[in-house]
Amino acid sequence: MQLSTSPDPTARISIRGLSKFYKDYLALDRVDLDVRKGERIVVLGPSGSGKSTFIRCLNRIEPHDSGVLMIDGRVIDDRTDLTALRGSVGMVFQNYNLFPHLSVLDNCTLAPRLVRGVGTSDAEATARRYLSQVNIAEQADKFPIQLSGGQQQRVAIARALCMNPEIILFDEPTAALDPESISGIVGIMRDLTEQGITTVCVTHEMGFARHIADRIVFMDRGAVLEITPPEEFFTAPRTERARTFLAQMIRH
Amino acid sequence: MPSTRPPALALSRPRRTPALQRITRRAAPWRRICLAALFVLAFILPAARAHADDLPSFVHDGQLTLCTNPTLPPMTFVNGSDTNALAGMDIDLARRLAAYWHVPLVPQTMDFEGLFPSLSAQRCGMVISGVLRQAGRLRNYDAVAYLDSSVVAVARVGTPRIRTMADLSGQTVAVQSGTSYAAQIERENDRLRAAGRLPIILQQYPTEDQVVQQVLIGRVHAFISQDVELYYRQKQLGGKVTIILTPDYPDFHQFAVYIRKDAHDTELLQKAIDDLTQQGELSAMARKWGISGDHQSVFTDRKASSRFDFATFFSALLSTAFLKGAALTLVIAILSHLTAIIISVPMAMKLNGRDSIVRRLLGLYVAIFRGAPTLLQLLFIWNALPQFFPIFREHWFTPFLATWLSLSINESAYQVEINRAALRAVDPGQVLAADALGMTTAQTYRHVIFPQALRIALPPTINEFISLLKTTSLASVISLQELLAVTQIQVARTFQFTEYYAAALVYYLAMVFFFLFLQKRIERRFVWADRDKASTDAA
Repeated sequence: MQLSTSPDPTARISIRGLSKFYKDYLALDRVDLDVRKGERIVVLGPSGSGKSTFIRCLNRIEPHDSGVLMIDGRVIDDRTDLTALRGSVGMVFQNYNLFPHLSVLDNCTLAPRLVRGVGTSDAEATARRYLSQVNIAEQADKFPIQLSGGQQQRVAIARALCMNPEIILFDEPTAALDPESISGIVGIMRDLTEQGITTVCVTHEMGFARHIADRIVFMDRGAVLEITPPEEFFTAPRTERARTFLAQMIRH
Repeated sequence: MPSTRPPALALSRPRRTPALQRITRRAAPWRRICLAALFVLAFILPAARAHADDLPSFVHDGQLTLCTNPTLPPMTFVNGSDTNALAGMDIDLARRLAAYWHVPLVPQTMDFEGLFPSLSAQRCGMVISGVLRQAGRLRNYDAVAYLDSSVVAVARVGTPRIRTMADLSGQTVAVQSGTSYAAQIERENDRLRAAGRLPIILQQYPTEDQVVQQVLIGRVHAFISQDVELYYRQKQLGGKVTIILTPDYPDFHQFAVYIRKDAHDTELLQKAIDDLTQQGELSAMARKWGISGDHQSVFTDRKASSRFDFATFFSALLSTAFLKGAALTLVIAILSHLTAIIISVPMAMKLNGRDSIVRRLLGLYVAIFRGAPTLLQLLFIWNALPQFFPIFREHWFTPFLATWLSLSINESAYQVEINRAALRAVDPGQVLAADALGMTTAQTYRHVIFPQALRIALPPTINEFISLLKTTSLASVISLQELLAVTQIQVARTFQFTEYYAAALVYYLAMVFFFLFLQKRIERRFVWADRDKASTDAA
């Protein structure tokens, strides 16, 4: 796919020539990508291909070194208000990273109260609504340690939703989950799309990727090699690298 | 018990009216002296007879400061359960000298080892503490003798008398550390070794009462002390010990007042002592404290009970002296640890951060203060610091402040390691999650990292605190009247070791148990870390 050289301000996310170095190591190599509102992007690639670095650049947890990152037509760089950026771009992690010392409800209300200054009762009402959406409203007063992995990941999604983000980044959300929990997460991610939330998801689960992706972004050695719809990617990958990657995945 | 209780003289610094203070400060030296003299004459000693034409330089700020170790009755000790009520021949002499120069006396109590460093540090003007006039000490200080004395070797009753110190060859002998008896025994040992005989085995103890106790419990054969002390101890020791030798050491014949080297001061002090001697005041003091020259009459055959005295134990337990000592121990431990925690948290954060000059300096700080013995740090801050910074010899720098300072610094070096480990143990994913939610660094520390690090740090911190609570007992060397210092002073007065040690033990244990209980209560708040407990409690 050929993109124009300048970023597209009408896209939800528009990326041109995004690069990132760790000292001398090139972690991201001139990445170009446009993401539409409500689109579900899945980033695939072997370990060390730069997938996680890539999505961490999108909420600037990892600042990029060169190239342009634009979200809703606004350029994201070192002058960007990070609090506002993180409010509109939420994130869900592989190990959930819930706050273990806080109840499920407090996990969901902490950031809205501290960062947004929302009142406790409003924050709790919002939290309970999103906890219901991810089907764990009855666990609101428990501590994370009392929940299963799938339940914890749903709390993490509810926690991200409480900030009313337009985009949610998923960093290998299903890596620590059993198949049943994974299908629960698939359902939740479809619901997010219906609410108009754009999702960018890094995963190793081929079945999960195939189920939820509108488009697959395939990366290797920091560079994007393919951007294709899942049917095409899994049946007729364009690059040799993608073919060997898929072959290895199927073998395992 | 001694029947001679000292008169109820206020030993704390007498307060002057602000107006008088202003006048004395502005006035010329001679007027100042006259005003002070008038004041003293009017309020303290209407009967003062001597006239001071000239004040020695160690009398300054209108007061005479005294360093003494009140564990040597009848020279200097605490008479009664009030640890501030000093008594004895030395204290009477010091009071009399103060009156002689028409100034109030400000005594300071400390360990024997602390006396001369304190004199050097100008923490006090003179040392009167049953210290003998000896050539070795005269190299660094001036001394004026005020009482004749002689050395005695004392053993349990029934031990045969000996002819010379050489007869103690191969025997164990106890002395008080910091005294010159140790050096004297070393000289005896040199002669013994030269003669191919076994040396005397020497044991040193920080207080005189412990020295005596070693003989009573039969651990050592004899102890070396001064005869005057025995005159006093006879009430406690009657029938238990006997003098086995009165060796003739020329260096041990006189008790002396020590001052910093100054020929003019020495001359003035000598004149004062001469005046008091001529007026018969010194011999009156000696009589008052039962210091008479007949060795043989000392030990009348009186049996003292050796059973545990519950009345003494309970009265010690309930005494204000012990209560105050325990409160002081608790307060200094809590203050020091709080200070240590407050300064060690940012230190730990810095030490966990990137390499920098500050980080290396902090590493050095931790290494030094964990490496040096706490006792040495206390002694350094109290005795050596004033030599570098004169501000630390001023009156505001009390033993309490010095202890607080040194224990805080010392404890912070240990606490910083606990904090470092606790902060490191918090999953880095927590910071990532807080970051992704838009929380600031301060919010992340306050609401995410610290609550989790606290749970990890709490048990070792309570452990440290309990250790610190007991470390405070070291502060007795710089004259802080904490629990153990109070205990030792009481023991020196009454010789009832077991009862007073038991009372101190009860206090220490009670305090430690309270904090262990507190730890359990606080840990209950960390249910979130324990799946089993969390599921039962949170339902």
